[in-house]
Order: sequence, then C-alpha cells, then structure tokens
Amino acid sequence: MSKKTLIETILAVVGVVFLAFAPWFVGAYWLGVLLQLMSWIALTQSWVAFSGLSGYVSLAQAVFYGLGAYVMAVLWQQAPIWQVLLLAGVAATILAVVIGYPALRVRGPYFVILTLGLSEFVKYIVVAIEAATESSGRLLLGTPDPEILYYLLFGLAVIASLLTFWLSRSRWGVGLRAIREDETAAATLGVPVAFLKTGAFALSAFIPGVVGAIWVMRTTYFEPLELFSPALSFSVVTIAIVGGSDQAPGPILGATFIVILSELLWARVPQLYLILLGLLLISFVLFLPRGIYGQISALQSGKRS
Amino acid sequence: MTLLQVKGVSRRFGGVRALNDISFDMQAGEIVGLMGANGAGKTTLFSLIAGNVAPSAGEIWFDNNRIDGLAPHQVNRLGIARTFQIVRPFANMTVLENIAVGALYGRGRTMSQHRARERCMQILEEVGLADRSDMLASALTLAGRKRLEVARALATEPRLLLLDEVLAGLNATEARDALDLLRRLRASRSLSIVVIEHVMKALMQLSERIIVLHDGQKVMEGVPAEVANDPRVIKAYLGEKRGAEHP
Repeated sequence: MSKKTLIETILAVVGVVFLAFAPWFVGAYWLGVLLQLMSWIALTQSWVAFSGLSGYVSLAQAVFYGLGAYVMAVLWQQAPIWQVLLLAGVAATILAVVIGYPALRVRGPYFVILTLGLSEFVKYIVVAIEAATESSGRLLLGTPDPEILYYLLFGLAVIASLLTFWLSRSRWGVGLRAIREDETAAATLGVPVAFLKTGAFALSAFIPGVVGAIWVMRTTYFEPLELFSPALSFSVVTIAIVGGSDQAPGPILGATFIVILSELLWARVPQLYLILLGLLLISFVLFLPRGIYGQISALQSGKRS
Repeated sequence: MTLLQVKGVSRRFGGVRALNDISFDMQAGEIVGLMGANGAGKTTLFSLIAGNVAPSAGEIWFDNNRIDGLAPHQVNRLGIARTFQIVRPFANMTVLENIAVGALYGRGRTMSQHRARERCMQILEEVGLADRSDMLASALTLAGRKRLEVARALATEPRLLLLDEVLAGLNATEARDALDLLRRLRASRSLSIVVIEHVMKALMQLSERIIVLHDGQKVMEGVPAEVANDPRVIKAYLGEKRGAEHP
C-alpha cells in the first residue's frame, strides 16, 4: 500500500466514524447541513461512476432523482418505506435504460442536450399526470425523523463511494475509460461499447432514485417542478468538476467544499451567493481543470500529463 | 486452410466508390501485402474486415464465420485485430493500461486484471516498451505509439493481424527493428498478417503475396517479384509516360 493510499484510507475511516456518530453531538442546523452533504456525495459519486469514467456528460441525474421522489410520494403509506426506496431505485434504473438506448448513440454535446431534453420531457409528463389527476402537490404526513433520514443518506453516500471506488478499478472501469479516450479504438480491441455504457448508465441511476425518495420525506411535499428541476443536474456536474478526477475521493472533496462554502455564503452574503458560486466554477475550469483531488494527485505523483 | 475470404466487397460513401468488387482469399499463416497509392481504398478495406464500416455489397468470411455486419468488438473476439494508420492511443491512460484493454476484452480476454497485467508485461517486453509501461501514452514518441498500436492489437490474442502503415514516419533503424519484430511475432504466435505499407522495400521483404489496389479496384495479385515488374502496377503508381498511349 502506497503512502497516499494509506493516508486516504485513514482519512476515510476517520470520516466515516465521525459521520456515523454525528447526530449525537451536532444540533438540528448542522444535521440539516450534513443531510445535504450526504445527498450531494451520493448524487455526485453515482454521476462520476458513469460520466466521469465514460466521458459521457449526463444531465439526467435530476430526472432519476425526481422519479424516485415521485415513486415515494405516490406510494406514501401504501407500502413499507424500505420497499418503496428499492422500488424508487429500480424505477430510475429502468428509466435510465429507456433514456440510454437512444441517447448513448450520440456523443459529446449531443448526448448532453439529449439527456437534458429527455429529462425535461419526463418532468412534464409527470406534471401533466399530476394535473390530470388534480393532485398537484402531494403532502407526505408522518415522515421519519431527520436522524433516520440522515442514516439512510449516510449509508447511501458510503455505498455510492464504494461503488465508484470499485468501478474505477474494475475491468468494467478500464473498458469505460477506454471508451472515454477513444470509442472506436476501444471497440476494435473487443470492448462491447454499447453494453458497457448502457450498463453503467443504468447502474448510476439507481442511487439518485433512492436519494430522491429519501429527500421527499425530508421536504414532506412533492412538487414536480421543484423535484425534477434541472438545477440539480447542473449542481452535480459543478461538484464533480470542483472535486475533480474519476475516482471516489473527488466527489467527497467537491461536495464538502461546495456545501461548506454555500453555508458560509448564504449566511453572510445571500445576494451574492450564486454570483460567487459561478465565479468559483469558472476559476476551477480555467485554473484547476483537474479539480481538487486531481490537483492533489498530480502534485504528489509528479506524473506528466 | 483458408482463413479469410473476401467475396465481391464494395463500399460507397455517398456517390464515391471507395471500393468496388474486391475479392481475395488468404491462407492461415500467410503474410499478405496491400499496395496502392493514396485513396486506393486500402484503409477502407481494413475497416470493412475489422467491422468498423459495413460493406455496401459483398461478403466477408473468417474461419467459416460470416463477419460482415458484425460489430467491431465481435470481429475482434473472433480473432481479427487491426492497428490504425493515424494512431489512436488512449492518451490519458498509461502504456500498460492501454494494452490491458485488449487483454481484458479481446479474443483471449481474461476477467482477472492481475493476469491481464502479467500477460501485457510480457507483450511489452517483446515489443520493447517494458521500460515505459507506467508512462502516459500521450508522452510516447511516434515510434513508441506505433509499437503501442501493435502491442494493443497483440494483447487481444488475434489470429489475423491487420497492420496499417506501422512503419510510416519511422527512421531507417526504427523501421528495421519493427520489421524484425513483426517476423518474430509471426513465428512465435503463428499469426497471419495483412500489411499496408508505403515503404515499398519493406513491403516487398515482408510479404509473401501482394495485392495491388487502384481507385478502389483490385489491379492484380502475385508474389512480390511479379508485382514489382508488372506494367499495370507501374502505371498505377507512376502514371504513363507522356505520349506512350498516343504515339
């Protein structure tokens, strides 16, 4: 084990232990912040598992999240929560296969636009259904305590991080990286490109589906325009860029940085919050394109790029 | 044993006929050279055989399997590997990782990354890249990248190797080393090889049989000595003497 891996492992263990006991010693306000942090980590990890590795920048995270929330809202108190959570994940996975089948035939900006367009399409289908059944907005009564939601999201963030960690080192991950670098060359070397891409896209949709289902229990109110908002997809991409790299520590660092920063900015200069966040993103793209983790790795290994 | 059969294959791109009614057979263990000026259709023929491009007409058979219309990864898994004339390294991956893609997914694929790495290190020794295994592919010289193309193709454990100008851009010493390498590889792995090469001397030395393409048509095929002296080939390459046709 190299020195860097050792340090990372120790930090990960300390972090997990701290977060596991956090509800006992942080107040309601900071628990709320940690809830945010856990969901951003889970959302961004699952995004990196597909988009970071394959290079297909997806803006579909919001639709998987929204669908998960919708499943929970519709089935609220009709079935045990854990079953609905699983179902939310499965529904998002199935939707990913349906979206991925046409969308993964195109690359680059076309794929980005197509995932955004298809997400909006699904959003307005849900809006139309809700309007037709005259249930615009659903209230969820008797949702679990924030502590329980926290542990659910915490578990999900850990699972998502392990997923990215495992995938980026697996045979599958090697295939996805090859696709990112040169899809034609990859296919010529025997990589079943369509299968790997669709599989990874479907796998990466499961987690945002579950996060959405948990988060709607936190807001206790389902409003399609809000829960399907594409702003969520943009935030995930921002966090991934800030964190950097196609490995698990990237999203953790990015999400921590953004969540802490937005807490500081919201509290002090709410008017300037979005402007400063925008400036920050621009500076990262221009000056630190490899993100926080990518920069740390590059400095340590001194590898040429 | 007939390994590869190309039967009446054509390919149009819009109104352009890139290849027209090409047929040839290839025996297992042979080295066949493909010759022709720029735009003759050599690389297109490779793309058709490797599955990157589907033929507009005709059939391609490999070891009793019809392979035209298959996806490139399926063709590779049957045992055909190609290199690209304009090299296509996975730039942000190390040399070893580049080759591991072939070992993990190609015809001889293994599910174990450990075994893939061992096999790849052996290939890197053979092609002389072992000392650069941890370098990013983007840091290699052109000669290094050409070797990487060959190494990657070999890692898939092909039975037929399609080499598209692996000598172009190399200096005389590098080219001689590369030729030696190809001969060694063929012997050690009982490979069949089709080569496209502009370096005429190399092509003549390496190939047992040469197929000449011109404007998407097959002009002739034969042993190197026949081809070198054939008037049609000279005409296709150098054009005609002014006034020769209209005295």
